[in-house]
Amino acid sequence: MASPDITSIEVLRSQLAKAIQLEHATIPPYLTALYSIRPGANTDATQILRVIVVEEMLHLTISANLLNAIGGKPDLTVKGFVPSYPATLPDGETDFTVGVGPLSPETLKAFLKIERPAMAPAGKSRHVVRKSDDHSTHLCTLPEDATLRYYSIGEFYAAIRDAIVYLDQQAKAKGETIFTGDPKRQVTSEYYYSGGGKLWPIVDPASAAKAIDLVIQQGEGKTQAIFGDSGEIAHYYRFLQLDKNRYYQQGDSPENPTGPALTTDWSAVWPIATNLKLAALPAGSELYDAAVAFNSAYRQFLALLTRAYNGEPQVLLDAVPRMFEFRNLIQQLICNPLPGGNGNAAPTYEI
Amino acid sequence: MTSSPRLENFVAFSAQITAFNKVEIWGTGLADVYLDTIDGLVGAAVTDALLDAFAPIATLRSDAARTDRLRLEVFGSERLGPVARAIVKLWYIGVWYPLPSTWQEQFGPTARNDAFVPTPAAFVEGLLWPAIGSHPPGAKAPGYGSWRLPPNIPSF
Amino acid sequence: MSPFVKNPNRPDLAALQSDSDYDAIVVGSGISGAIIANELAQAGKRVLIVEAAPETDRTYEGYTEYLNHFYGQSAKDNQSPFPINPNAATPRGSELRKLDPLETNSSSYIVQSGPYVSDTVYTRVFGGTSIHWEAKTPRMLPQDFKTQTVFGQGRDWPIGYEDIETDYETAEREMGVSADVEDQKYLDLKFRDSYVFPMRGLPPSWLDEQVAQGIDNSQVELYGERYALKVRPFPQARNGIPNPAYDGGKGFEPTSAVASHQIDIGGRCQGNTNCVPICPVQAKYHSGKTLAKAFETGRVDLLSQAVASKVIIDDASGRVTGIETKVYHHVSSPAYKTVTLRARLYVIAANAIETPRLLLASGLRSKSGLVGRNLMDHAYLLNWALMPQICGTTRGTSCTSGIVDLRGGSFRRSQAAFAVDIHNDGWGWATGSPSTDLVELVDDGNKFGRDLRNAIIDRVSRQLLLAFMIEVMPSESNRVTVDPTYKDPLDNMRPVVSFAVPEYSMRGAAYARQFAKTLFARLGAEDHTHYDPSNYGFIAYQGDPYEIRGGNHLAGTHIMGSDPSTSVVDADQRSWDHDNLYLVGAGSMPTIGTANVSLTMAAIAYRSARKIIATLNH
Repeated sequence: MASPDITSIEVLRSQLAKAIQLEHATIPPYLTALYSIRPGANTDATQILRVIVVEEMLHLTISANLLNAIGGKPDLTVKGFVPSYPATLPDGETDFTVGVGPLSPETLKAFLKIERPAMAPAGKSRHVVRKSDDHSTHLCTLPEDATLRYYSIGEFYAAIRDAIVYLDQQAKAKGETIFTGDPKRQVTSEYYYSGGGKLWPIVDPASAAKAIDLVIQQGEGKTQAIFGDSGEIAHYYRFLQLDKNRYYQQGDSPENPTGPALTTDWSAVWPIATNLKLAALPAGSELYDAAVAFNSAYRQFLALLTRAYNGEPQVLLDAVPRMFEFRNLIQQLICNPLPGGNGNAAPTYEI
Repeated sequence: MTSSPRLENFVAFSAQITAFNKVEIWGTGLADVYLDTIDGLVGAAVTDALLDAFAPIATLRSDAARTDRLRLEVFGSERLGPVARAIVKLWYIGVWYPLPSTWQEQFGPTARNDAFVPTPAAFVEGLLWPAIGSHPPGAKAPGYGSWRLPPNIPSF
Repeated sequence: MSPFVKNPNRPDLAALQSDSDYDAIVVGSGISGAIIANELAQAGKRVLIVEAAPETDRTYEGYTEYLNHFYGQSAKDNQSPFPINPNAATPRGSELRKLDPLETNSSSYIVQSGPYVSDTVYTRVFGGTSIHWEAKTPRMLPQDFKTQTVFGQGRDWPIGYEDIETDYETAEREMGVSADVEDQKYLDLKFRDSYVFPMRGLPPSWLDEQVAQGIDNSQVELYGERYALKVRPFPQARNGIPNPAYDGGKGFEPTSAVASHQIDIGGRCQGNTNCVPICPVQAKYHSGKTLAKAFETGRVDLLSQAVASKVIIDDASGRVTGIETKVYHHVSSPAYKTVTLRARLYVIAANAIETPRLLLASGLRSKSGLVGRNLMDHAYLLNWALMPQICGTTRGTSCTSGIVDLRGGSFRRSQAAFAVDIHNDGWGWATGSPSTDLVELVDDGNKFGRDLRNAIIDRVSRQLLLAFMIEVMPSESNRVTVDPTYKDPLDNMRPVVSFAVPEYSMRGAAYARQFAKTLFARLGAEDHTHYDPSNYGFIAYQGDPYEIRGGNHLAGTHIMGSDPSTSVVDADQRSWDHDNLYLVGAGSMPTIGTANVSLTMAAIAYRSARKIIATLNH
């Protein structure tokens, strides 16, 4: 199928760079919500969030593999790569924002919207027009026109998938391929582990389609299936379990999970500030320095990932301990009271 | 955690006697739990005396000067020393070790006289582990293969 | 992928008692019991598992309760995660004391009748000691199977290494072993051509590297022969990086934590440094992973809080006709109901203390008289020192590498072999470090603030603990018995253990001490080892002090052989006396060499399962 949005390999590369940004953009909100849970409390929510964060890292790596496969160069260190939260995402006819804050019924609603399987209704455009009149980061935009956005994250990925098939067919007609990337730049399971799936080298349209399908099935899905092909629960339904206070099991309908019950104690969460910025902290205070130190550690982590995605996959093995360090740094910030009794601090992700 | 001047004084005292900074002390999420625990064990009057003794010391500029005065007026005090040592141990390993029987005979019995962990998080947040660039056994795992690298022992 | 656990409970005692259609009853849910139950279920057989403990950790929530319980204990001994359960008590080292000559101490669950007091433990929870074990999985050496023939020591097995080699491979798959085969080819240990372990070896720790730099390629001389030393990683039943070459290139999928819903944790070790007593993420194998598959078939039922109290025998045929079982309602109350459970065939897999305890309490000593005898356990000798440099101790799995060059050799004619563990967790086992270090530095050293922080780094990060796992050969006088004087709250007789560390092992221990001193000298490490005469494990040997610790590798008490007059079970672990009774576990092992027993125990469980299935199909 011809892809009207993505008409050249250059545009495809830029859209895949946006996919990498999108996959990453969910990590700070999820990670912060995860570590906002008080110790020993909410083991169900903790496990659900933890798995999803790990899988977002997997999706991030898959997106990088896709971009590498077609000769692009992932760069997680470019200015503006980490959104200024709250960031804006499309949800059908309307937008919604996702921010960095404590786990709460409200953040859960936003998370559900991120992961909700939604495709444009038949006969409707997969694009929506939106005037970008604010300063927040907008994700899932169309190429070259930031006021046009995809109807949903699912549509955003569908356009990429269509374009890969279309552009490769065009290339083949000329005896070429779009899969010109060096296979050594592919990150495989040897270097990154997630219970949610394996990594494989992306070298042709079939391996690329399989990769996009995995991202769609697990995450920002397009189908109504609760369980993916590998028997894994999609993120949307993982989160929905927290709303429905019950786990899904195979054979369940979306409305009616029948697995074990679970409960969330929304009060067993540190009262952290939402979308905290460095500017709100007293300059020169230990707390300010700690928040800066976290951002700096996070920046180094993104630089490590960039190296891993640019021909040094073994660097991912060293990046893993960094991720574990974040947990300690974030938890430390989250336990610190803000001056003036305005709740507790949080990472600001001003990279 | 709601802050109060008394709690802030306790955090400052704790930072001084552990050589971790205040953000790290708050960062355990346990400052209020520990202050309550100590008050419950030795009585708020003893804790207050400890914090009062520290107040003038806290204003001294040099760490060496603060250490000297702490030795003399807190760790070397018959009444405050054993309590201060118990607080150091509590922060480092998450266990309250009972005060010596001589202390209890002189200043009154503590509410409990056994070694105990005030809350499971106390063990997990023990400062001994970050001090040596490690993690408590069974918690805060550093990730697959991290152990093959040299330890990252923080400077302070 | 994390296995889902079906609820296998069958609490209706009346229905259970009248159900005569089970193919097998398996007593015990540890590694052996789980493997037998799963193999039978996969072959279409119906199985009832009888477990003495509550099924707490069958669910993820229950497992997490153990972890929180562990965090909350001020003294973290190796049983600290597990709540006290008088109805199915678990031995604890912390309850022990030294015995006077001829004294018996019945204050702990295992009645210690001496002379040596062993702090060996096992864990009576759902999953047995596999919840607690460290998960080191070396194979036994081929020479270990014929020590009598080759060295004139111990007993020969009725089977050889080659007979169980494929069962070793099966066990390595089931338990998910991480190791690189190149590292494991030493002495006479051999592997099938092209064999690789399911997962790649776990990386050695920084501490291992420091020790290796000091001693690799150096040699020791023993009885005129020279042995080259090398720090070598141990195989571990712990999830690592799957080896794509496994199974002819099909690869391997690790089994992560068991739960009734998807949690996907534990697919890879995170370095919690807490293998013993509990892996927080279940990256370590435990039998619950095998049981989850067994329950999934729908053919395996579970009766928990059920302590088997008597094996009932038909005198005429010698066959087992039922297992009398006491089912208690709550751990806090000794109230129980007695039921008799029946099946075509019976498997006792309750461990090398509890299995003979049950048999002896049932009056079954076997014609050989050897039930409960030949009790073995590895004798551990700890040696500890401070390395000259910071080694980052307390990081990694409990132990990643060791020195195994003296696991075999002609010296075994005269003295016990040993394997040496380099403990990543520091001196804890020997001294209670680091809490003891902290208390000493604060209370005696008057350290606080910066001085304390520096002192802690200096004291803990340089720690090196070498644990020598010394082989113990079977000896009939080392034994488990029962005595009606000593009963538990359910009126079951408790195990009474009499044990002496054999001279052969003490000769190995004496050399181990000398060997440790040599290594410390080569490393420039400060030896801090001291053995306390008041310690329950203290032994004076040839005028020198030693402390011998238990290894929790209990074996030998229903010993395997080829002659009914000198053994309890045959090479398939079938009782010579009762042909529908299998005694499965390390209790069947004639010798234990210098291999942690679980892998070999799992391998022989597969052998027994084949035999049981064939018998049931017959």
